[in-house]
Amino acid sequence: MSSRPQPKLSTPVGKSADGGAAATTLSAARRFPLDATTLKNYLRQMVLLREFERLGEREFKNGLIRGYYHSYAGQEAVGVGLVNALDLHQDYIVDHYRDHGHMLLSGMDPMRIFAELFGRANGVSKGKGGSMHMYSPENHFLGGDGIVGGGISVATGVGLALKQQQRDGICVCFFGDGALDTGTFHESLNLASLWHVPTAYVCINNMYSMGTSLERHSSLPRLVDRAVGYGIPTEQVDGQDVWATTEAAERIFRKVRKEQRPYFVEVLTYRYQGHGIHDKPLNYRSLEEETAWHARDPLKLLSDHLVEEKILSLAQIEALRAEVVAELEVKVEEAKQGPEPAPEELMHDVTL
Amino acid sequence: MALREEMERDPRVVLLGEEIGPYNGVHYVTRGLFAEFGKDRVMDTPISEESFVGVGVGLAIMGQRPVVEMMRMDFSLRAMDQIYNHMAKIRYMSGGRLSVPMVLRGPEGPGPNPGLTAQHGQQLSVLFAHCPGLRVVSPSNQYDAKGMLKAAIRCDDPVVFLEPGPLNNKQGEVDDGDYVLPLDQAEIKHAGEQVTLIGYGASVALCLQAARDLERDGVSAEVVDMRSLRPLDMGPALGSIRKTNRAVMVDYAWQSYGPGAEIVSRIATEGFWDLEVPVQRVSGKETPLPYAANLEELSKPSVEEIVAAAKVTLQRQ
Repeated sequence: MSSRPQPKLSTPVGKSADGGAAATTLSAARRFPLDATTLKNYLRQMVLLREFERLGEREFKNGLIRGYYHSYAGQEAVGVGLVNALDLHQDYIVDHYRDHGHMLLSGMDPMRIFAELFGRANGVSKGKGGSMHMYSPENHFLGGDGIVGGGISVATGVGLALKQQQRDGICVCFFGDGALDTGTFHESLNLASLWHVPTAYVCINNMYSMGTSLERHSSLPRLVDRAVGYGIPTEQVDGQDVWATTEAAERIFRKVRKEQRPYFVEVLTYRYQGHGIHDKPLNYRSLEEETAWHARDPLKLLSDHLVEEKILSLAQIEALRAEVVAELEVKVEEAKQGPEPAPEELMHDVTL
Repeated sequence: MALREEMERDPRVVLLGEEIGPYNGVHYVTRGLFAEFGKDRVMDTPISEESFVGVGVGLAIMGQRPVVEMMRMDFSLRAMDQIYNHMAKIRYMSGGRLSVPMVLRGPEGPGPNPGLTAQHGQQLSVLFAHCPGLRVVSPSNQYDAKGMLKAAIRCDDPVVFLEPGPLNNKQGEVDDGDYVLPLDQAEIKHAGEQVTLIGYGASVALCLQAARDLERDGVSAEVVDMRSLRPLDMGPALGSIRKTNRAVMVDYAWQSYGPGAEIVSRIATEGFWDLEVPVQRVSGKETPLPYAANLEELSKPSVEEIVAAAKVTLQRQ
């Protein structure tokens, strides 16, 4: 186990209510072998996700982005571990509203994501979708979703289609802890188990359903315990630790692929911003709690390791960050140059 | 029949719904298909409407051609998030990158026999017809139903296919041939000169009967079957009114805000100068569908009401 300070949480991440039926990989896989090249690549991706949101927030405050903006900052090890374990030539992602990080990891061009956020014609959805509604069939990214739990049944259908079409791929569905409180989550797990659907249901438990903490919205403290009634294997994973997310994802996705059965994964993590970047998280959570989670920041855990192992120096990491920011700034500028959608776009893509 | 032919023609066509398998469908629409095509293409679902409609959306964006049955259209209320927020919107929200070629079908409104009552016999067509992104059709007879269902299955847009209650459990006149009818065209079902009766779905049969009764009284009525509620094809109705200068709008839905209200509003904006007298309306009464047979009968639009409304338009010069 790691000797790093653990966050002090009211949320237990230990024993399950049923005495440990669900497997727990919390940091146990820290020594999962990842070579230096992979780790450096992962750091770069995590920096990309973090800095993308930083620039997005800046442009939100500048008024270029309107409406809803759900920042991925803090959850980078979840996406990097899980999306990299997919083969997006054959696998598919169905995402929820906190989707920028997963889109970047799917290989979508940051310029086109920014352009969509700016409501421009060169955006992923021609400016007609916005933050939560981007789809890239060529990257096998089948959308964010603005409705909590809304994508869970769609992902069940995507997995079923892969099976009916006798293809090798699997589907991975991301949603938050609040989605477990919707009826469709439970309906869909029942359907997926009944029909042997190759979909991995990944609950990103960032401890808050909007502003409502886990102990105020969930009847059980461990969400894996709320997914046990459907004959589906369940597992809790440390979402701050990219070794743990990588190990779990590779093993779990292999199993889903091989056995053509669903799986439920609860990844424990924390979002640094509010539910949307306009809300004030200190209204519903403490500075002490935020500080504890920042001590196990996913980028920090990985950077510290790279420095300790002399794979990268602090200066090199800072240079990498500056390089990523410079690249993203170019993308922001390019996106800003895009025109507004033509007026006739209003009535396109919908049957009259 | 349309389902079997389309399933034979296209292996991507799969059916989902409650009791559509060994039970053969509550209204026997899927009779024999489970035995013929097996459980992977005729999928019995648990009572999870929201989620199996969502499964249909997922199948459709992956290139399958799902036909999802609602045992009664009333139960689609459970699935409205998927219908409104996913099925109808994914094509637009994706800037046209994805389409949802899916059919949601099922019986709606009062049945051929009384007794469906308040939660099983509602005519909710306006809920679908209100939503851009959906195509909504309501055939009035078996012949149209077959050709339009085939068109719906082949359509790249999501289609809500409303089967009028009285049509179910009936063996009607259906052509054997592989014919496909347009999804967006109204049709004159009975030619006449003096007054235009406009209906869709189940109310067309009432209009046709009313036209026959009016003929006995020396009145020549024309019957327009709208067939599609979204998009609305106003051409035949407006053309007919240009000739008759009189119209009666007939539907089973609650009158306020219903499809009839939209059709009458379109007549007011596009055909106002052709009208000699105000449009008359005959609709379902604004109450939950009652159980007692006499009350249920009173709650539905009747041939007598249509005949009377038509005569009102002729009296007022």
